[in-house]
Amino acid sequence: MPQEASLSFDSLDKAKRLQGEITKRYFQSLTAAHKEGKKIGYGFVMANPIEFFNVFDIVPLYPEVTSLNISYRGGAPPLIALAEEEGYSTDACGYVKMGVAAATDNTSTAIGALPKPDVLLLTYSGCQIYIHWWEQLHYQTGAPILTIDVPYVREYDGHVDPHDVKYVSAQLQEAIPEMEKVSGKRFDENRFKEVIALSAKAWDLWGQVVEMGKLRPTPFDAYFESIYYMAPITIIRGTQEAVDFYAFLLDELKERASRGVGPTAEERYRLVFEGVPNYPFFKKFWNLFRQNNARAVASTYPKVAGMVDTGSFRMNPERPFDSIAEYMIHAYCNWNMPMRTRLLEKYVRDYHADGVVIHSIKSCRSFSMGEGDMREYLAKDRDIPTLLIESDHVDPRYYSEAQIKNRVEAFFETLALRKGVA
Amino acid sequence: MQASRSYYAGIDAGSTYTKGTLVDDRGRMVATAVDMTGVNIVLATKKVYGLLLQNAGVNESDVAYVVGTGYGRYRITFGNSQVTEISCHAKGAHNLFPQTHTVLDMGGQDTKAIRINQHGEVVDFTMNDKCAAGTGRFIEGSARALGLALKDVGELSLKSTNAVKVSSTCAVFAETETQEQLAWGNKLEDVLYGIHASMATRAIGLLRRVGIEPDITFTGGVSLNPGMVRALEEQLGKKINHDGKTMFCGSLGAAIFAMEKATSPPRAEVAAA
Repeated sequence: MPQEASLSFDSLDKAKRLQGEITKRYFQSLTAAHKEGKKIGYGFVMANPIEFFNVFDIVPLYPEVTSLNISYRGGAPPLIALAEEEGYSTDACGYVKMGVAAATDNTSTAIGALPKPDVLLLTYSGCQIYIHWWEQLHYQTGAPILTIDVPYVREYDGHVDPHDVKYVSAQLQEAIPEMEKVSGKRFDENRFKEVIALSAKAWDLWGQVVEMGKLRPTPFDAYFESIYYMAPITIIRGTQEAVDFYAFLLDELKERASRGVGPTAEERYRLVFEGVPNYPFFKKFWNLFRQNNARAVASTYPKVAGMVDTGSFRMNPERPFDSIAEYMIHAYCNWNMPMRTRLLEKYVRDYHADGVVIHSIKSCRSFSMGEGDMREYLAKDRDIPTLLIESDHVDPRYYSEAQIKNRVEAFFETLALRKGVA
Repeated sequence: MQASRSYYAGIDAGSTYTKGTLVDDRGRMVATAVDMTGVNIVLATKKVYGLLLQNAGVNESDVAYVVGTGYGRYRITFGNSQVTEISCHAKGAHNLFPQTHTVLDMGGQDTKAIRINQHGEVVDFTMNDKCAAGTGRFIEGSARALGLALKDVGELSLKSTNAVKVSSTCAVFAETETQEQLAWGNKLEDVLYGIHASMATRAIGLLRRVGIEPDITFTGGVSLNPGMVRALEEQLGKKINHDGKTMFCGSLGAAIFAMEKATSPPRAEVAAA
């Protein structure tokens, strides 16, 4: 392509549109599933063995993904209100409340009426309320719960004992008859290996994408843009479409890098982000950073679908169950706090970041617990400028613009002094 | 021409009060002004600016640069630029007490702990979470419940001999909480000091998060309250800097930023020369 000085960022921002189309088609596939005679399996984003759904032709539905999309479109308040009318506390998780409300009869959401589950795959043991959420959905819909108990990464050095892997792997294998019963399809090992091979390809490409943040300047925002880019790895992983998407994205980012184009006019600050974003005010929230010419170079949240850049798992068709088990055990919130904190510190070092921003959310204790300690460690022990701000991921009631803006601006004033660019 | 424009102003439009400070070309405080912010921030800031010029006996044309700070900083229509009150309190505290390394700012709706370097620049800061518990608003609510003027609350609390333990400092429930403590038969001054002690505990928790390094300077509207000063000093086990000017640290810092911004040569022109 010829070099054009006036080339706009928009022409190198097509992957987001592609992601939008993929997500739209995915939502259409959800609402059409039952009409087409397909079964729906509910799952959690963290530690999700989507390959295990794919092999039985079960369409995966992640109420976290549907809820955040509804919230992004401004549709959270009526669902939250409905759950609170049913008696859910204002303090209960917004995802849970939205999920329960969306499964109530005749509820239409900003992305349509969601189909009821045919099976509830309970894989995420890191959050007590999630267990009760699945129980509640079971009471509401009668769908069976299939529990895969996933242990924490218990050792501070991050190693996982082989018996933990065996434990998860065996549970997956034991679940086969139940999945066959729900889906009406026999388990096909060759198909399973194919799906895992496609999954591995998508992980490899996505891994290369996140590493692009190491470039100076980074060609993409590794938090705010990654929130779009991370969708296919969760919702359509194990398909050629997912592989194609990440190949396209990687090319686009390489093109951005070669032309020196990025999501802000210039790269004044390089930041590492921790925490779930605010979806109801997503663009406003992003603007607080974008208008300061700050770009995220690395972040933990886009890794909730899988810790792609830590070498902790690798999908392998030759050891299908064990490699899925390793992937599941290494879910981000299954990691212990020293590991999570060390990862942030490593990101700051490897990605040459100026500081860390932690966005803590009221809904999710398993994500937000310990973030105050992370801040203290990074700021006091490591002298890394670290900002902690709070709101919620889906509930707009917890976002107060003036409070957050004040903290963010003061943080940039501090960073400017440090960098001597004031 | 240069001589006639040798003053710099800082306007701090806070949630409760709007403060103004004028400094001369050597950064010395020339005048201050204060008024309730109320519902119309634009009017409040204009009024305080007018009062400030009046108190100093100077004309608007004598002011070379105005910096706005506080929550209403973008509503200051006559301002030249904006700086957050976190940086301003740091700057102001450093100006009044150059040995300051830790700043505690207690305002109407938030409490901030700020660690600063020897130049008065912010190294780290933390604020109360998105809840006004333990901020100046709690004292206001209690004063209202007791029918006291805000300025008398701190003074009265100093008479306490047996402080009551007040666990909740929720600003919304301040009035009912205070009434409840009195209904138990506790003495007014003991309830009041209990409130101050409880707020001090919360504030010190914030200070510990950024690290407490002397000198500690207490700023913001609540720094005028002797009850809070005593509670903080008792719990910290050390003296803290405060005086009649510390409530103006935000606007003072803004005025000094104004002086620095006006007197440092614009980069582009330097580059062109």
